[in-house]
Amino acid sequence: MALLTLSRSSVGLPGRNLLLTLPALLLVVFFFLLPVAILLSRSVTEPTLGLHNYVELLGSPTYLKIFYNTFLVSSLVTIISLLIGFPVAWALAIMPRGLSSVVFAILLLSMWTNLLARTYAWMVLLQRTGVINKTLMGLGIIDQPLQLVNNLVGVTIGMTYIMVPFIVIPLHGVIRKIDPAILQAAALCGASRWQALRMVLIPLARPGIFSGALMVFVMSLGYFVTPALLGGTANMMLAELIAQFVQSLLNWGMGGAAALVLLSVTMALYILQVRLFGAKG
Amino acid sequence: MTHPFLEIRGIRKEYAMIPAVRDVSLNIRKGEFMTFLGPSGSGKSTTLFILAGFQDPTAGDILLEGKSLLSTPSQHRNIGMVFQRYTLFPHLTVAENIAFPLKVRRWPKARIEAKVAEMLRLVRLEGFETRKPATMSGGQQQRVALARALAYDPPVLLMDEPLSALDKRLREEIQVEIRRIHQQTGVTILYVTHDQEEALRMSDRIAVFSKGVIDQVGTGEELYANPATRFVAGFIGDSDFIDCELRGAAGGKAKVALKDGLEIGGIPLHGEGKPGARVALMLRPERTRIDPAGASGGAIPAVVTDITFLGSNVHVATETETGAPVSVRLPFGHPSISALARGQKVGLGFDPAEAHVFS
Repeated sequence: MALLTLSRSSVGLPGRNLLLTLPALLLVVFFFLLPVAILLSRSVTEPTLGLHNYVELLGSPTYLKIFYNTFLVSSLVTIISLLIGFPVAWALAIMPRGLSSVVFAILLLSMWTNLLARTYAWMVLLQRTGVINKTLMGLGIIDQPLQLVNNLVGVTIGMTYIMVPFIVIPLHGVIRKIDPAILQAAALCGASRWQALRMVLIPLARPGIFSGALMVFVMSLGYFVTPALLGGTANMMLAELIAQFVQSLLNWGMGGAAALVLLSVTMALYILQVRLFGAKG
Repeated sequence: MTHPFLEIRGIRKEYAMIPAVRDVSLNIRKGEFMTFLGPSGSGKSTTLFILAGFQDPTAGDILLEGKSLLSTPSQHRNIGMVFQRYTLFPHLTVAENIAFPLKVRRWPKARIEAKVAEMLRLVRLEGFETRKPATMSGGQQQRVALARALAYDPPVLLMDEPLSALDKRLREEIQVEIRRIHQQTGVTILYVTHDQEEALRMSDRIAVFSKGVIDQVGTGEELYANPATRFVAGFIGDSDFIDCELRGAAGGKAKVALKDGLEIGGIPLHGEGKPGARVALMLRPERTRIDPAGASGGAIPAVVTDITFLGSNVHVATETETGAPVSVRLPFGHPSISALARGQKVGLGFDPAEAHVFS
């Protein structure tokens, strides 16, 4: 008994101290849970009770096109970020310590630079008379400037640039823990570089690949600034649609419905990841 | 002309101009169990990594049945290796790990299955097919690593201190297993260790590495009975060294004088030495005699400093009158033991033909 009491008082949290966490709990309820609940209720009550907001959202070709744009861009951004981020994460893991901290600093510095500034920079680079078009034309690769902004190409390029660090950081954490001797063993077993990559390195890095990819995909689904600046009005994405419903049309019902569709997709993906890789993944 | 099976020819490896391996040449016979023995930093692992193809030598060549391996990358050398660290693929089961080298060689499925079963029998891990490496002990993991390395019948198996992470008992158990597997498969093994007992227990021949060169190659008995250098003498078996002066050398035998003037002749001399040079006289504790009655008739006078019971034998630490520590190992039950006490004056004797003098 004495032992039990001791362990309770020293290790366990005595029940009434939970009261101390109340302010934080209230904060979570008022600022996180409640708004979602209100949004949900407005999406099924405005202008009248029922699911008509969802029916309109998922039934209209215009809105479906926006969903399609959103998923297309998010998927492309995720895949391209992975294709760029995986080699970078691998290089970071094997390069000398000094050099890897420099590359890491560059990555972080770009992440810490203001998002608007970086997006406007891409606008300048990608416009008809921008550096990229001028270079390509100067080299004689193209005759006419490419349409790189005000469409989904620009959005994909700008967002990929922003998302790469979000792939590299979790992936680097996983790859760094892989013992290089395991890859030496694979080589001596007769595996070519490609086989070692496909059969050993990628499977071992899979938790990092999935958590990075999920983070980027989810962030991309709800991204606003870059699509708004680099995309065209003809090719809207979901966040822009929500902004338009709420800001311009004051239609909280439709805005809430769109936001909740986005939230359910995100939650479904998160649950899928937990199922596949456990909560830590 | 017949080639040596595996020839290491004048290998040198420098890192940033500092040599890790200075000049290593060695011929290894087919089916031989060759151990590279030496302290860390002596170049033994570097030599092994060059054989594996993980590093290129600065100079020298490696020839397998007369053909140079240097231009062949690791994955095409067809060499097996068991590493110091656990290198099983953690996402694959035991059976998939062993099948890995066969899968990359595109063996047909039925042949892979048969080979995996055969390898599991060889390392006595039948029934472990579906286990993941993380659920197995270190010893079991290394046995799977051995099975994976032998699955494709490599002509040469490299082992880089594979047992160093295991505790002593398990280590001895797996040493016996490796010996058995060596005899059963007839594979040529190059085994790296810093543990002289492990080297003696397992090897056909031992190459003793020191500071980037091989000091001596030979069977355990040869190295023990006839060490070529002071380093080998100190590394294989226990030994004590007494500083003395060379008085004369003839026919490979030396005559030396201890600091107190006592002269002893007829001791095998290793290396060059002019009369008057400072040399080291090496004695083996298990061959040194101790006379509890004291020094007489050419024995070295000494004082007992400690007596330790070690089970099968008793370790008597002494110090000669000239200040050199010399230990004597007596079998348990030896009649002298009861006559010895700490602080006692004794006489130390030895057979000059069994001692060694190193210049």
